Amino acid sequence: MESIDKMTRVDIIISFIRYEMKRAIAKRKVLALLAFTILLDTFPYYALSTATNGTGFIPLAAYPYIWVAGVFGLQPLFLNFTAILIAAGAMSEEYEQGTAELLLSKPVRRNDYFAGKFLGGFILFLIILAFNILLSVGSAFTFFGPQASLEILPGLFIVQAFSSLIFYSLAFMLGELVRRSSLAYIFSSAVFFASFIISGYLGLIFSLTGKEFYGTVQIYLPTSPANSLPVQYASPLLPQTVGIVLRFVGADNTIVPTIELSVAILLAYTLVAIGVAAGYFWYADISRRMG
Amino acid sequence: MSNPSSQGPSVLQFQNTVKDYGSKKIGPVDLNIGKGEIVGFLGPNGSGKTTCMRLMLGLIRPSSGNVRVNGYDPISKHVEALNHVAYSPELPNIQTFLTPTELLTLVLHELGFQGDKQDEIRRVLELVGLIEYRDTKVGKLSKGMVQRLSVAQALIGSPELLILDEPMLGLDPAGSAHFREIFREFVMGGKGTVFMSSHMMNEVESLCTSVLIIHSGRILFRGSSSEVIRKVLDYSVVTVEAQGLQQETINSIKEMPNVSQVTINNQTIEIIIKGHDDIRPALSDLIVKSGAKLYTIKTADNMMERAYIEALKKNGVDR
Repeated sequence: MESIDKMTRVDIIISFIRYEMKRAIAKRKVLALLAFTILLDTFPYYALSTATNGTGFIPLAAYPYIWVAGVFGLQPLFLNFTAILIAAGAMSEEYEQGTAELLLSKPVRRNDYFAGKFLGGFILFLIILAFNILLSVGSAFTFFGPQASLEILPGLFIVQAFSSLIFYSLAFMLGELVRRSSLAYIFSSAVFFASFIISGYLGLIFSLTGKEFYGTVQIYLPTSPANSLPVQYASPLLPQTVGIVLRFVGADNTIVPTIELSVAILLAYTLVAIGVAAGYFWYADISRRMG
Repeated sequence: MSNPSSQGPSVLQFQNTVKDYGSKKIGPVDLNIGKGEIVGFLGPNGSGKTTCMRLMLGLIRPSSGNVRVNGYDPISKHVEALNHVAYSPELPNIQTFLTPTELLTLVLHELGFQGDKQDEIRRVLELVGLIEYRDTKVGKLSKGMVQRLSVAQALIGSPELLILDEPMLGLDPAGSAHFREIFREFVMGGKGTVFMSSHMMNEVESLCTSVLIIHSGRILFRGSSSEVIRKVLDYSVVTVEAQGLQQETINSIKEMPNVSQVTINNQTIEIIIKGHDDIRPALSDLIVKSGAKLYTIKTADNMMERAYIEALKKNGVDR
């Protein structure tokens, strides 16, 4: 009997996952993001191959690793921002449209609805992430010939997905807290860009003054582990020649000193954000249509 | 003045329940709804009808007091409380990208429905007259069709308690009549219970076995339509349709016991009587003996509406 109940709950969560994916696709946001991914993963390679052809700007030895540019170049801005765009509306748009009320008036656990919404949006993000990686490798192959060290891609996919969880969770939490999609997008983006910009300033001040305080604060900003972890994971697995490609896309330095610390900071932010969102969702009234 | 008692075993209970929104407070509400009833929930806009329904569904928490649905707290025991409970919201907001089939499939998953889903979807769509639109996006359905779909998603599975917020809103007269029949059949045998809010007094009077009038979160009256009318109004109204009435006969009607006012409009006469004595047998005798042709003689159709307005007036609400 208990196993039937568990099966039913899994079935319900899967239904909400499917529903959330369908909902997000219907909003056309995801299609726009996919189109943008295609643009970002093809045009720069084409432009790079045309501009550098025969100039020696990119050493021939780096050609088999040019895929790294697309895979790492998009993480700091585009992928984190994509995570925000998908997550911020997952809960808030349901309140705005008044559709949460109907779904939650059924005998379902709020946790199952929450899990379905969270996972549904994240699976969509994973699809975009996978698409980004495949397209980067495909474009690199097309314009620069056979690519090497591709065996690290599955691991890198997982690491990038994990790194993006931080902004996905923060945006999901803000969507639940403010319950207005426009505000959720603004607040999430503000956190993201503020972290990005402040990190830059702190890095500069630290390098100028050498004061540890600035370096330490910089480490714990949410953008730092999100951008450091993929590089920390991949660097030991790639040859030295890749450094030039990473430098080219501005992803050559890691702010967080160790991979363990990056994971810990990412986990802390993610779990706190999910916990706050789940707690608020559990406790707060399901608001009626807004906006 | 309130009477929170019910007839059958209790399916819905409010015990001193208050919902405080800060700027507005609903309650304290005491209420018991028994199995097998069709309860009409009446009250002006903002009186707390929807709040009470949302409390029943565990969508909002009471600030104090208790709510029990099938004996369970709909917040902490949401699944147990809402098992076999279905809700159709007022002006339903349904995702426009879904088709009726997709929405109902999702609902069946939520309900953990174990039978043949396609058969069940077909059954309810036929029942509400939407089978031809099963694969049409909700965004392309008319307001009335969306209302039908909202009721369909409430009827699917095997609900035993229907909580309906203005279920006839946007329906044409034929649709309303059809839905009345569906709800009557639903409670037949005493298994099903309907709790519905409505502003359509005639619907409530003709369909509901029990009526609740709420204002500012307080239950003002509770009882059958006729009980509410008797409790609230100190008069009754009889309408007569007859041809060939002489002034002498009209004078005789005016002189009948307790008749306080007679208004003539073509062939129709409206007679206001103090109290609730039934003067129809004596009245029909008088008219027939006068030689006039009597077509109809009945209690006025809008007694429930009069009672409702009067009930609100007595509690300081002018409109």
